[in-house]
Amino acid sequence: MIWLELAIMQRALVGCVLAGLLTGLLGVFVVKMKLSSMGYCMSHGAFAGAALGVAMAVDPLTTALVFSSITALFIGPIADKARLHADVITTIVFPLNMALAFVFLTLSPEVGLKTEVANVLWGSVLSIFYSDVVYLTSICAATLGLIFLFWKELFAIMFNRKLAEADGINTKPFVYFVIFLTGFVVTLSLKLVGGLLIFALLFNPASTTLQFSHDMKKIVFLSPIVGAITCVSGLFVSLFLDLPVGSCIVLVSTFVFALAVLLSPKRRRRRQK
Amino acid sequence: MAFEVATQMDDVIRLEDVYTIYEGEKRPAIRNVNLTVNSNEFIYVVGPNAAGKTTLLETINGLLPPSRGTVYVFGQDVRNNGRKVRCQIGYVPQDFIVDPGEPYTALDVVLMGMYGKIGILRKPDRRDLNNAMRIMKLLGVDELANRSMGKLSGGQQQKVMIARALAKEPKLLLLDEPFSNLDIDSRQRIPSFIEKLHEGSDMTIIIVTHHVSQISKRCERIVVMNNGEKIADEKLTESPFLLKELYQILGTEVFS
Repeated sequence: MIWLELAIMQRALVGCVLAGLLTGLLGVFVVKMKLSSMGYCMSHGAFAGAALGVAMAVDPLTTALVFSSITALFIGPIADKARLHADVITTIVFPLNMALAFVFLTLSPEVGLKTEVANVLWGSVLSIFYSDVVYLTSICAATLGLIFLFWKELFAIMFNRKLAEADGINTKPFVYFVIFLTGFVVTLSLKLVGGLLIFALLFNPASTTLQFSHDMKKIVFLSPIVGAITCVSGLFVSLFLDLPVGSCIVLVSTFVFALAVLLSPKRRRRRQK
Repeated sequence: MAFEVATQMDDVIRLEDVYTIYEGEKRPAIRNVNLTVNSNEFIYVVGPNAAGKTTLLETINGLLPPSRGTVYVFGQDVRNNGRKVRCQIGYVPQDFIVDPGEPYTALDVVLMGMYGKIGILRKPDRRDLNNAMRIMKLLGVDELANRSMGKLSGGQQQKVMIARALAKEPKLLLLDEPFSNLDIDSRQRIPSFIEKLHEGSDMTIIIVTHHVSQISKRCERIVVMNNGEKIADEKLTESPFLLKELYQILGTEVFS
């Protein structure tokens, strides 16, 4: 495997491992805090931002970060202030982000569906730079540290937010923390998987692991591993079959989820009843 | 977490002209409620469905901010100090059932009740764990500690939820229909366990029920809610016929 010695492939491999770990880990919180619809909004917010960056010929990562942060503001604090239900705000913001993304894409017709636009849409191994690996590593370390520090609060909120409040936990900052962190992680993984598919990485590993375990601590430990393995497997499939890396990662993770559903001991017990 | 309980007055709860309206509703769920509860009192709140009993409990612990009036718990206005106050309150919500697939053990659920009181950046220690297991044993659910909460029966889950509320050693215990899923044996055993706990501590207890038959003989005081209003507030010692009157006033069919 001589291509593994290429710096670009090494970066892609490390990027895949980090993106898989991060999305797999955060996905558990997103799913268990019932913020799943937020994942669609966030990925398309980052996608719209990246599209704007391409249209304006500035770094798509910066504009994607700005857009995902604005999306997080709308889904979190602004929705709370306006007393809008999560379903309502995500249903409004999701098509808004898509509409903006398509407007921005048409603003750069000379680019077409090549190079940067294609990278933003369905990801590319070639677009992973050293700086992306550094960003992903930093946010991975920060995420692990913060989750370790605030594990018990996050754990209680995942169980039931209202009960956590009733026990004296201030739940808002922790929910906002998950929303904003998801925005950053989605943005940083965007180049690899692409804006149209990135949210699958948030849900598939978490949903896969939930098929097997009754222990939340094990799920939080295993989901990032499943995320990293499916990302790396998707990368190899993409290289061998010469297909878009984002699509391959999502196909592999969906296949793994389907296998998990078939093999799930939880479901087997339920069928026996 | 250090928490100064106001000792100037003996009352643990004081509601002054309290109205609570749910968002989007025109009619208050509770209205013009005045209530003072002293330390170590044991109170039952009764009334038919939609009388405002649950709203009253959640207004007391600050989960539902009152739209008018003031709620003081331990001398603190819950609107401003709700979280501090809630760290000292054990709360069992009505009909709380965990789905079978949820990945939490019964011990996880009991320990979680202490997290607010333990405070941020601190982990539960050996003492917290021992306390959780001690309460679970007293309630007869210690052998279920490592079982998945969602796999337990409704009655077992209800006992775990009561253990969760008690493990934090609260100064105030708010129980909303806490015995509804229990079997006949537990319906006698668990209330008498709570009564004994009350006798040996300075804990104030408020239990909400719509089953008059479930009211303990040791209950000191009964608050009756109907249509969002407090329509009676009597000490059983002073009104020995109150229970009988309740049957007559509110109808046995509602309570039985």
